[in-house]
Amino acid sequence: MRIALDILQVLLLILGAPLVRAIIARLKARLQRRRGASIWRPYAELFKLLRKEELVPPTSSAVFRLAPMVLFGATIGAAAFVPVVHASALLGSRGDFFLFVYLLALGRFFLSVGALDGGCAFGGMGASREALVSSLAEAPFLLGLVAIAIVASRVDIAGMVAWTLGQNIFNISAVHILAFTSLAMVILAETGRMPVDNPTTHLELTMIHEGMVLEYSGPSLALIEWASAIKLHIMVALLIALFFPWGMASNGSGWGIAVALLLYCTKTAVLVILLSVIESSVAKLRMYLVPDFLGVASALSALAVIFTMWVKR
Amino acid sequence: MGLVGLATEKILSSFSVFLFLTILLLAVARRISTSVLLFGLQSAIIAAEVLATAFQEKLPEVYIVGALVFVIKVVAIPRAFFLLTKRLKTVRDVKASTTPTQSVFIVAAIIYLSYAAVHSYGRVVHVPDDPLAAAVSLILTGAFLMVSRKKALMQMLGLLVLENGIFLAALITTFGMPLVIEIGIFFDILMGLLLMGIFTFRISDTFEHLDVSKLRKLRG
Repeated sequence: MRIALDILQVLLLILGAPLVRAIIARLKARLQRRRGASIWRPYAELFKLLRKEELVPPTSSAVFRLAPMVLFGATIGAAAFVPVVHASALLGSRGDFFLFVYLLALGRFFLSVGALDGGCAFGGMGASREALVSSLAEAPFLLGLVAIAIVASRVDIAGMVAWTLGQNIFNISAVHILAFTSLAMVILAETGRMPVDNPTTHLELTMIHEGMVLEYSGPSLALIEWASAIKLHIMVALLIALFFPWGMASNGSGWGIAVALLLYCTKTAVLVILLSVIESSVAKLRMYLVPDFLGVASALSALAVIFTMWVKR
Repeated sequence: MGLVGLATEKILSSFSVFLFLTILLLAVARRISTSVLLFGLQSAIIAAEVLATAFQEKLPEVYIVGALVFVIKVVAIPRAFFLLTKRLKTVRDVKASTTPTQSVFIVAAIIYLSYAAVHSYGRVVHVPDDPLAAAVSLILTGAFLMVSRKKALMQMLGLLVLENGIFLAALITTFGMPLVIEIGIFFDILMGLLLMGIFTFRISDTFEHLDVSKLRKLRG
Protein backbone atom coordinates (compact mmCIF):
# COMPACT_ATOMS: atom_id res chain seq x y z
CA MET A 1 0.00 0.00 0.00
CA ARG A 2 2.73 2.46 0.97
CA ILE A 3 4.77 1.48 -2.07
CA ALA A 4 1.73 2.05 -4.29
CA LEU A 5 1.27 5.49 -2.74
CA ASP A 6 4.96 6.31 -3.25
CA ILE A 7 4.76 5.33 -6.90
CA LEU A 8 1.57 7.37 -7.25
CA GLN A 9 3.44 10.41 -5.89
CA VAL A 10 6.22 10.09 -8.48
CA LEU A 11 3.69 9.61 -11.26
CA LEU A 12 1.78 12.66 -10.05
CA LEU A 13 4.96 14.74 -10.10
CA ILE A 14 5.92 13.53 -13.57
CA LEU A 15 2.56 13.51 -15.30
CA GLY A 16 1.22 16.64 -13.62
CA ALA A 17 4.28 18.68 -14.49
CA PRO A 18 3.21 19.91 -17.96
CA LEU A 19 -0.14 20.90 -16.47
CA VAL A 20 1.51 23.08 -13.78
CA ARG A 21 3.56 24.80 -16.43
CA ALA A 22 0.55 25.29 -18.68
CA ILE A 23 -1.51 26.76 -15.86
CA ILE A 24 1.24 29.29 -15.14
CA ALA A 25 1.36 30.22 -18.82
CA ARG A 26 -2.42 30.52 -18.93
CA LEU A 27 -2.56 32.69 -15.80
CA LYS A 28 0.18 34.92 -17.16
CA ALA A 29 -1.77 35.28 -20.39
CA ARG A 30 -4.88 36.21 -18.43
CA LEU A 31 -2.95 38.81 -16.42
CA GLN A 32 -1.82 40.33 -19.71
CA ARG A 33 -5.44 40.30 -20.91
CA ARG A 34 -4.81 37.63 -23.52
CA ARG A 35 -6.87 34.47 -23.76
CA GLY A 36 -3.92 32.10 -23.66
CA ALA A 37 -3.57 28.58 -24.97
CA SER A 38 -5.47 25.58 -23.63
CA ILE A 39 -3.98 24.08 -20.48
CA TRP A 40 -3.74 20.70 -22.23
CA ARG A 41 -1.54 22.04 -24.98
CA PRO A 42 1.82 20.98 -23.46
CA TYR A 43 0.65 17.37 -23.50
CA ALA A 44 -0.28 17.67 -27.18
CA GLU A 45 3.07 19.28 -27.85
CA LEU A 46 4.99 16.55 -26.06
CA PHE A 47 3.02 13.93 -27.97
CA LYS A 48 3.74 15.68 -31.26
CA LEU A 49 7.46 16.06 -30.54
CA LEU A 50 7.80 12.43 -29.47
CA ARG A 51 6.50 11.26 -32.85
CA LYS A 52 8.71 13.57 -34.88
CA GLU A 53 11.99 12.81 -36.57
CA GLU A 54 15.10 13.86 -34.66
CA LEU A 55 17.59 16.11 -36.44
CA VAL A 56 21.16 16.09 -35.13
CA PRO A 57 23.83 18.65 -36.09
CA PRO A 58 26.52 16.96 -38.23
CA THR A 59 29.34 18.20 -35.97
CA SER A 60 27.91 16.77 -32.74
CA SER A 61 28.97 13.61 -30.93
CA ALA A 62 27.12 11.00 -28.86
CA VAL A 63 26.96 13.40 -25.89
CA PHE A 64 24.42 15.46 -27.77
CA ARG A 65 22.05 12.50 -28.02
CA LEU A 66 22.81 11.24 -24.54
CA ALA A 67 22.29 14.53 -22.66
CA PRO A 68 18.46 14.71 -22.80
CA MET A 69 18.13 11.14 -21.55
CA VAL A 70 20.49 11.72 -18.62
CA LEU A 71 18.67 14.97 -17.81
CA PHE A 72 15.29 13.24 -17.88
CA GLY A 73 16.51 10.28 -15.84
CA ALA A 74 18.20 12.46 -13.21
CA THR A 75 15.11 14.63 -12.87
CA ILE A 76 12.87 11.60 -12.37
CA GLY A 77 15.36 10.30 -9.83
CA ALA A 78 15.09 13.58 -7.95
CA ALA A 79 11.30 13.39 -8.14
CA ALA A 80 11.44 10.13 -6.20
CA PHE A 81 12.73 12.02 -3.17
CA VAL A 82 9.89 14.51 -2.76
CA PRO A 83 6.91 13.66 -0.56
CA VAL A 84 3.57 14.83 -1.93
CA VAL A 85 0.58 13.23 -0.26
CA HIS A 86 2.21 11.52 2.70
CA ALA A 87 5.46 12.02 4.59
CA SER A 88 7.56 9.48 2.78
CA ALA A 89 8.88 9.06 -0.73
CA LEU A 90 9.85 6.25 -3.07
CA LEU A 91 13.57 6.70 -2.41
CA GLY A 92 12.86 8.59 0.81
CA SER A 93 15.38 7.12 3.23
CA ARG A 94 17.81 5.81 0.62
CA GLY A 95 19.42 9.18 0.08
CA ASP A 96 19.74 12.55 1.78
CA PHE A 97 19.05 16.00 0.43
CA PHE A 98 22.57 16.27 -0.99
CA LEU A 99 21.73 13.50 -3.42
CA PHE A 100 18.53 15.33 -4.35
CA VAL A 101 20.37 18.61 -5.05
CA TYR A 102 23.13 16.96 -7.02
CA LEU A 103 20.78 14.81 -9.10
CA LEU A 104 19.28 18.08 -10.30
CA ALA A 105 22.80 19.46 -10.79
CA LEU A 106 23.77 16.38 -12.81
CA GLY A 107 20.86 17.03 -15.14
CA ARG A 108 21.88 20.65 -15.61
CA PHE A 109 25.48 19.64 -16.23
CA PHE A 110 24.50 17.25 -19.00
CA LEU A 111 22.10 19.75 -20.51
CA SER A 112 24.85 22.39 -20.76
CA VAL A 113 27.39 19.87 -22.06
CA GLY A 114 24.89 18.81 -24.70
CA ALA A 115 24.28 22.44 -25.62
CA LEU A 116 28.03 22.99 -26.03
CA ASP A 117 28.25 19.84 -28.14
CA GLY A 118 25.53 21.08 -30.47
CA GLY A 119 28.00 23.64 -31.82
CA CYS A 120 25.55 26.54 -31.99
CA ALA A 121 26.92 29.85 -30.70
CA PHE A 122 23.76 30.62 -28.75
CA GLY A 123 23.86 27.16 -27.17
CA GLY A 124 27.37 27.85 -25.90
CA MET A 125 26.32 31.23 -24.56
CA GLY A 126 23.28 29.73 -22.86
CA ALA A 127 25.43 26.98 -21.37
CA SER A 128 27.94 29.43 -19.94
CA ARG A 129 25.16 31.49 -18.39
CA GLU A 130 23.49 28.39 -17.03
CA ALA A 131 26.82 27.42 -15.46
CA LEU A 132 27.04 30.87 -13.83
CA VAL A 133 23.49 30.80 -12.50
CA SER A 134 23.60 27.22 -11.26
CA SER A 135 26.97 27.57 -9.55
CA LEU A 136 25.67 30.66 -7.73
CA ALA A 137 22.34 29.04 -6.89
CA GLU A 138 23.90 25.87 -5.51
CA ALA A 139 25.20 27.43 -2.29
CA PRO A 140 21.91 29.00 -1.13
CA PHE A 141 19.96 25.90 -2.20
CA LEU A 142 22.17 23.60 -0.12
CA LEU A 143 22.48 26.00 2.82
CA GLY A 144 18.72 26.52 2.99
CA LEU A 145 18.17 22.77 3.13
CA VAL A 146 21.03 22.38 5.64
CA ALA A 147 19.35 24.88 7.95
CA ILE A 148 16.12 22.90 7.95
CA ALA A 149 18.03 19.64 8.32
CA ILE A 150 19.76 20.99 11.43
CA VAL A 151 16.49 22.14 12.99
CA ALA A 152 14.77 18.85 12.18
CA SER A 153 17.95 16.82 12.90
CA ARG A 154 17.20 14.63 9.89
CA VAL A 155 19.05 14.52 6.59
CA ASP A 156 16.48 12.91 4.31
CA ILE A 157 13.78 15.11 2.86
CA ALA A 158 10.97 12.75 3.87
CA GLY A 159 12.29 12.81 7.44
CA MET A 160 12.35 16.62 7.52
CA VAL A 161 8.77 16.65 6.26
CA ALA A 162 7.73 14.14 8.90
CA TRP A 163 9.36 16.31 11.57
CA THR A 164 7.62 19.47 10.31
CA LEU A 165 4.28 17.64 10.33
CA GLY A 166 4.72 17.07 14.05
CA GLN A 167 5.12 20.80 14.73
CA ASN A 168 2.43 23.34 15.42
CA ILE A 169 1.79 25.60 12.43
CA PHE A 170 2.25 28.66 14.66
CA ASN A 171 5.64 27.52 15.92
CA ILE A 172 7.47 28.22 12.70
CA SER A 173 10.83 29.70 13.65
CA ALA A 174 13.07 32.36 12.19
CA VAL A 175 15.06 29.62 10.48
CA HIS A 176 12.04 28.56 8.47
CA ILE A 177 11.15 32.08 7.40
CA LEU A 178 14.69 32.83 6.23
CA ALA A 179 15.13 29.44 4.57
CA PHE A 180 11.78 29.77 2.82
CA THR A 181 12.68 33.18 1.41
CA SER A 182 16.04 32.03 0.16
CA LEU A 183 14.73 28.77 -1.30
CA ALA A 184 11.95 30.64 -3.08
CA MET A 185 14.55 32.91 -4.68
CA VAL A 186 16.71 29.92 -5.60
CA ILE A 187 13.76 28.18 -7.19
CA LEU A 188 13.11 31.18 -9.42
CA ALA A 189 16.72 30.94 -10.60
CA GLU A 190 16.94 27.15 -10.79
CA THR A 191 13.84 26.71 -12.88
CA GLY A 192 14.62 29.64 -15.12
CA ARG A 193 11.62 31.74 -14.18
CA MET A 194 11.17 35.44 -14.66
CA PRO A 195 13.58 37.69 -12.77
CA VAL A 196 16.49 35.48 -13.85
CA ASP A 197 15.46 33.96 -17.16
CA ASN A 198 12.46 34.57 -19.37
CA PRO A 199 10.86 31.25 -20.33
CA THR A 200 8.90 32.80 -23.20
CA THR A 201 11.69 34.82 -24.77
CA HIS A 202 12.35 34.79 -28.49
CA LEU A 203 15.42 37.02 -28.33
CA GLU A 204 18.50 34.84 -28.49
CA LEU A 205 20.72 37.31 -26.65
CA THR A 206 18.73 37.07 -23.43
CA MET A 207 18.14 33.32 -23.47
CA ILE A 208 19.53 30.95 -20.88
CA HIS A 209 17.46 27.78 -20.94
CA GLU A 210 15.91 28.47 -24.32
CA GLY A 211 19.35 29.12 -25.79
CA MET A 212 20.58 25.73 -24.72
CA VAL A 213 17.75 23.81 -26.37
CA LEU A 214 17.88 25.66 -29.70
CA GLU A 215 19.64 22.78 -31.50
CA TYR A 216 17.40 20.04 -30.15
CA SER A 217 14.41 18.65 -31.99
CA GLY A 218 11.96 15.76 -31.90
CA PRO A 219 12.01 13.30 -28.99
CA SER A 220 15.13 14.88 -27.44
CA LEU A 221 13.42 18.26 -27.26
CA ALA A 222 10.34 16.58 -25.78
CA LEU A 223 12.47 14.98 -23.07
CA ILE A 224 14.20 18.28 -22.24
CA GLU A 225 10.97 20.27 -22.09
CA TRP A 226 9.29 17.61 -20.01
CA ALA A 227 12.28 17.42 -17.67
CA SER A 228 12.27 21.18 -17.10
CA ALA A 229 8.52 21.08 -16.43
CA ILE A 230 9.07 18.24 -13.94
CA LYS A 231 11.82 20.24 -12.28
CA LEU A 232 9.47 23.19 -11.77
CA HIS A 233 6.83 20.88 -10.34
CA ILE A 234 9.38 19.18 -8.03
CA MET A 235 10.51 22.54 -6.71
CA VAL A 236 6.95 23.68 -6.02
CA ALA A 237 6.25 20.34 -4.32
CA LEU A 238 9.47 20.66 -2.30
CA LEU A 239 8.47 24.13 -1.02
CA ILE A 240 5.06 22.80 -0.04
CA ALA A 241 6.49 19.69 1.60
CA LEU A 242 9.15 21.51 3.60
CA PHE A 243 7.20 24.55 4.71
CA PHE A 244 3.47 23.82 4.46
CA PRO A 245 3.10 20.05 4.79
CA TRP A 246 0.09 20.16 7.11
CA GLY A 247 -2.76 18.05 5.79
CA MET A 248 -0.65 15.21 4.41
CA ALA A 249 -2.13 11.76 4.95
CA SER A 250 -0.84 10.25 8.17
CA ASN A 251 -2.20 6.74 7.57
CA GLY A 252 -3.04 4.84 4.41
CA SER A 253 -6.80 5.34 4.49
CA GLY A 254 -8.41 6.31 1.20
CA TRP A 255 -10.23 9.27 2.73
CA GLY A 256 -7.02 10.77 4.16
CA ILE A 257 -5.25 10.37 0.85
CA ALA A 258 -8.09 12.06 -1.03
CA VAL A 259 -8.01 15.00 1.38
CA ALA A 260 -4.21 15.20 1.12
CA LEU A 261 -4.39 15.21 -2.68
CA LEU A 262 -7.02 17.93 -2.67
CA LEU A 263 -4.99 20.02 -0.22
CA TYR A 264 -1.86 19.51 -2.31
CA CYS A 265 -3.69 20.77 -5.39
CA THR A 266 -4.92 23.82 -3.47
CA LYS A 267 -1.46 24.67 -2.13
CA THR A 268 0.05 24.21 -5.59
CA ALA A 269 -2.63 26.47 -7.05
CA VAL A 270 -1.79 29.19 -4.51
CA LEU A 271 1.94 28.96 -5.24
CA VAL A 272 1.29 28.91 -8.98
CA ILE A 273 -0.88 32.01 -8.77
CA LEU A 274 1.82 33.75 -6.72
CA LEU A 275 4.47 32.73 -9.24
CA SER A 276 2.50 34.02 -12.20
CA VAL A 277 1.76 37.31 -10.45
CA ILE A 278 5.47 37.72 -9.65
CA GLU A 279 6.40 36.82 -13.20
CA SER A 280 4.02 39.35 -14.70
CA SER A 281 4.96 42.19 -12.38
CA VAL A 282 8.76 41.92 -12.32
CA ALA A 283 11.13 42.86 -15.11
CA LYS A 284 13.89 40.47 -16.07
CA LEU A 285 17.17 41.24 -14.36
CA ARG A 286 20.19 42.18 -16.39
CA MET A 287 22.61 39.27 -16.54
CA TYR A 288 25.10 41.14 -14.34
CA LEU A 289 22.49 41.65 -11.65
CA VAL A 290 21.75 37.93 -11.31
CA PRO A 291 24.78 37.38 -9.03
CA ASP A 292 23.38 40.11 -6.74
CA PHE A 293 19.98 38.40 -6.66
CA LEU A 294 21.55 35.08 -5.74
CA GLY A 295 23.96 36.80 -3.35
CA VAL A 296 20.95 37.97 -1.39
CA ALA A 297 19.62 34.41 -1.40
CA SER A 298 23.01 33.17 -0.16
CA ALA A 299 23.09 35.70 2.66
CA LEU A 300 19.56 34.73 3.71
CA SER A 301 20.33 31.03 3.78
CA ALA A 302 23.65 31.58 5.56
CA LEU A 303 21.71 33.56 8.17
CA ALA A 304 19.21 30.72 8.39
CA VAL A 305 22.04 28.31 9.19
CA ILE A 306 23.47 30.72 11.77
CA PHE A 307 20.04 31.13 13.33
CA THR A 308 19.82 27.41 14.01
CA MET A 309 22.28 28.13 16.81
CA TRP A 310 19.64 30.17 18.64
CA VAL A 311 16.70 27.91 18.01
CA LYS A 312 16.31 25.67 21.00
CA ARG A 313 14.04 22.77 20.40
CA MET B 1 -9.95 36.32 23.13
CA GLY B 2 -7.87 33.18 22.90
CA LEU B 3 -7.12 33.87 19.27
CA VAL B 4 -6.10 37.46 19.96
CA GLY B 5 -3.87 36.28 22.78
CA LEU B 6 -2.24 33.73 20.52
CA ALA B 7 -1.75 36.34 17.81
CA THR B 8 -0.08 38.78 20.21
CA GLU B 9 2.20 36.05 21.46
CA LYS B 10 3.21 35.17 17.90
CA ILE B 11 3.69 38.84 16.98
CA LEU B 12 6.00 39.34 19.94
CA SER B 13 7.96 36.16 19.36
CA SER B 14 8.37 35.98 15.61
CA PHE B 15 7.71 39.38 14.03
CA SER B 16 11.28 40.47 14.69
CA VAL B 17 12.36 38.00 12.01
CA PHE B 18 10.44 40.05 9.49
CA LEU B 19 12.40 43.06 10.70
CA PHE B 20 15.58 41.21 9.71
CA LEU B 21 14.04 40.60 6.32
CA THR B 22 13.26 44.30 5.87
CA ILE B 23 16.78 45.41 6.71
CA LEU B 24 18.27 42.77 4.41
CA LEU B 25 16.01 44.05 1.65
CA LEU B 26 16.94 47.65 2.50
CA ALA B 27 20.53 46.66 1.86
CA VAL B 28 19.70 45.56 -1.70
CA ALA B 29 17.09 48.19 -2.56
CA ARG B 30 18.23 50.20 -5.56
CA ARG B 31 15.55 52.82 -5.67
CA ILE B 32 14.66 55.42 -3.11
CA SER B 33 10.95 54.60 -3.47
CA THR B 34 11.59 50.92 -2.66
CA SER B 35 13.60 51.90 0.40
CA VAL B 36 10.80 54.19 1.59
CA LEU B 37 8.24 51.42 1.14
CA LEU B 38 10.47 49.05 3.11
CA PHE B 39 10.79 51.63 5.86
CA GLY B 40 7.00 51.90 5.98
CA LEU B 41 6.70 48.13 6.21
CA GLN B 42 9.28 48.05 8.98
CA SER B 43 7.40 50.71 10.92
CA ALA B 44 4.16 48.79 10.44
CA ILE B 45 5.80 45.70 11.97
CA ILE B 46 7.01 47.80 14.88
CA ALA B 47 3.54 49.30 15.31
CA ALA B 48 2.13 45.76 15.47
CA GLU B 49 4.68 44.90 18.15
CA VAL B 50 3.73 48.00 20.12
CA LEU B 51 0.05 47.08 19.98
CA ALA B 52 0.85 43.49 20.97
CA THR B 53 2.85 44.75 23.96
CA ALA B 54 -0.01 47.02 24.95
CA PHE B 55 -2.43 44.11 24.80
CA GLN B 56 -0.19 41.75 26.70
CA GLU B 57 0.86 44.15 29.45
CA LYS B 58 -2.57 45.85 29.57
CA LEU B 59 -1.11 49.34 29.26
CA PRO B 60 -3.72 51.68 27.74
CA GLU B 61 -1.32 54.51 26.97
CA VAL B 62 0.83 52.21 24.87
CA TYR B 63 -2.12 51.85 22.50
CA ILE B 64 -1.84 55.58 21.87
CA VAL B 65 1.88 55.20 21.17
CA GLY B 66 1.08 52.39 18.71
CA ALA B 67 -1.45 54.58 16.94
CA LEU B 68 1.09 57.41 16.82
CA VAL B 69 3.73 55.08 15.33
CA PHE B 70 1.24 54.01 12.69
CA VAL B 71 0.10 57.52 11.78
CA ILE B 72 3.54 59.11 11.77
CA LYS B 73 5.91 56.42 10.62
CA VAL B 74 3.71 54.28 8.39
CA VAL B 75 1.58 57.00 6.80
CA ALA B 76 3.03 60.48 7.22
CA ILE B 77 6.78 59.98 6.79
CA PRO B 78 6.62 57.75 3.69
CA ARG B 79 4.16 60.20 2.12
CA ALA B 80 6.48 63.07 2.92
CA PHE B 81 9.33 61.16 1.31
CA PHE B 82 7.33 60.48 -1.84
CA LEU B 83 6.41 64.16 -1.98
CA LEU B 84 10.07 65.10 -1.56
CA THR B 85 11.29 62.76 -4.29
CA LYS B 86 8.59 64.08 -6.59
CA ARG B 87 9.44 67.71 -5.91
CA LEU B 88 13.18 67.23 -6.09
CA LYS B 89 12.90 65.44 -9.45
CA THR B 90 16.05 63.60 -8.53
CA VAL B 91 17.33 60.36 -10.01
CA ARG B 92 15.66 57.39 -8.36
CA ASP B 93 18.86 55.46 -7.71
CA VAL B 94 20.16 55.43 -4.14
CA LYS B 95 23.80 55.66 -5.29
CA ALA B 96 25.25 53.05 -3.01
CA SER B 97 29.00 52.98 -2.54
CA THR B 98 28.91 49.22 -1.94
CA THR B 99 27.46 46.64 -4.31
CA PRO B 100 24.19 45.01 -3.18
CA THR B 101 25.94 41.71 -2.45
CA GLN B 102 28.49 43.44 -0.26
CA SER B 103 25.73 45.33 1.52
CA VAL B 104 23.77 42.15 2.16
CA PHE B 105 26.75 40.41 3.63
CA ILE B 106 27.59 43.44 5.76
CA VAL B 107 24.02 43.54 7.06
CA ALA B 108 24.11 39.79 7.68
CA ALA B 109 27.31 40.32 9.66
CA ILE B 110 25.59 43.12 11.59
CA ILE B 111 22.71 40.80 12.46
CA TYR B 112 25.13 38.12 13.60
CA LEU B 113 27.09 40.65 15.66
CA SER B 114 23.99 42.01 17.33
CA TYR B 115 22.90 38.50 18.28
CA ALA B 116 26.31 37.82 19.75
CA ALA B 117 26.27 41.14 21.62
CA VAL B 118 22.74 40.74 22.93
CA HIS B 119 23.02 37.09 23.90
CA SER B 120 24.60 37.50 27.33
CA TYR B 121 22.68 40.69 28.11
CA GLY B 122 19.29 39.18 27.33
CA ARG B 123 19.85 36.39 29.82
CA VAL B 124 20.49 38.85 32.65
CA VAL B 125 17.46 41.09 32.12
CA HIS B 126 15.09 38.31 30.93
CA VAL B 127 14.37 39.81 27.56
CA PRO B 128 13.86 37.56 24.51
CA ASP B 129 16.87 37.46 22.20
CA ASP B 130 15.18 37.96 18.86
CA PRO B 131 13.55 41.39 19.28
CA LEU B 132 16.51 42.84 21.17
CA ALA B 133 18.92 41.68 18.47
CA ALA B 134 16.52 43.11 15.89
CA ALA B 135 16.63 46.46 17.68
CA VAL B 136 20.44 46.53 17.82
CA SER B 137 20.77 45.49 14.20
CA LEU B 138 18.24 48.18 13.17
CA ILE B 139 20.43 50.78 14.88
CA LEU B 140 23.59 49.50 13.22
CA THR B 141 21.94 49.10 9.82
CA GLY B 142 20.60 52.63 10.00
CA ALA B 143 24.12 53.87 10.63
CA PHE B 144 25.43 51.70 7.81
CA LEU B 145 22.83 53.06 5.39
CA MET B 146 23.77 56.63 6.34
CA VAL B 147 27.45 55.94 5.69
CA SER B 148 27.17 53.95 2.49
CA ARG B 149 24.46 55.77 0.53
CA LYS B 150 25.42 58.97 -1.20
CA LYS B 151 21.96 60.45 -1.70
CA ALA B 152 20.98 62.94 0.98
CA LEU B 153 17.47 61.46 1.08
CA MET B 154 18.88 58.06 1.98
CA GLN B 155 20.72 59.57 4.91
CA MET B 156 17.43 60.83 6.26
CA LEU B 157 16.04 57.35 5.79
CA GLY B 158 19.04 55.80 7.52
CA LEU B 159 18.46 58.08 10.49
CA LEU B 160 14.82 57.03 10.63
CA VAL B 161 15.76 53.34 10.55
CA LEU B 162 18.21 54.01 13.36
CA GLU B 163 15.47 55.74 15.34
CA ASN B 164 13.18 52.76 14.76
CA GLY B 165 15.87 50.60 16.35
CA ILE B 166 16.16 52.81 19.42
CA PHE B 167 12.38 52.88 19.76
CA LEU B 168 12.18 49.09 19.52
CA ALA B 169 14.93 48.64 22.10
CA ALA B 170 13.08 50.94 24.51
CA LEU B 171 9.85 49.07 23.86
CA ILE B 172 11.34 45.66 24.56
CA THR B 173 13.41 46.45 27.62
CA THR B 174 10.99 48.80 29.41
CA PHE B 175 7.63 48.31 27.61
CA GLY B 176 8.02 51.74 26.06
CA MET B 177 8.84 55.10 27.53
CA PRO B 178 6.25 57.33 29.23
CA LEU B 179 3.75 58.81 26.84
CA VAL B 180 5.00 62.37 27.22
CA ILE B 181 8.54 61.43 26.32
CA GLU B 182 7.29 59.32 23.41
CA ILE B 183 5.31 62.27 22.04
CA GLY B 184 8.37 64.46 22.48
CA ILE B 185 10.45 62.00 20.48
CA PHE B 186 7.90 61.90 17.68
CA PHE B 187 7.86 65.69 17.60
CA ASP B 188 11.65 65.59 17.44
CA ILE B 189 11.58 63.25 14.46
CA LEU B 190 9.09 65.38 12.63
CA MET B 191 11.10 68.54 13.23
CA GLY B 192 14.28 66.75 12.20
CA LEU B 193 12.59 65.52 9.06
CA LEU B 194 11.35 69.01 8.29
CA LEU B 195 14.82 70.51 8.75
CA MET B 196 16.47 67.80 6.70
CA GLY B 197 13.85 68.24 4.01
CA ILE B 198 14.63 71.95 3.85
CA PHE B 199 18.32 71.16 3.74
CA THR B 200 17.95 68.71 0.88
CA PHE B 201 15.98 71.35 -1.01
CA ARG B 202 18.77 73.83 -0.43
CA ILE B 203 21.42 71.32 -1.46
CA SER B 204 19.61 70.46 -4.65
CA ASP B 205 18.91 74.15 -5.37
CA THR B 206 22.50 75.20 -4.90
CA PHE B 207 24.33 72.25 -6.40
CA GLU B 208 21.62 70.73 -8.62
CA HIS B 209 22.27 67.26 -7.26
CA LEU B 210 21.90 65.42 -3.96
CA ASP B 211 25.20 63.57 -3.97
CA VAL B 212 26.68 64.06 -0.53
CA SER B 213 30.10 62.77 -1.52
CA LYS B 214 30.58 65.82 -3.71
CA LEU B 215 30.22 68.13 -0.71
CA ARG B 216 33.79 67.20 0.20
CA LYS B 217 34.98 69.65 -2.40
CA LEU B 218 33.81 72.44 -0.11
CA ARG B 219 36.71 71.82 2.24
CA GLY B 220 39.12 74.72 2.28
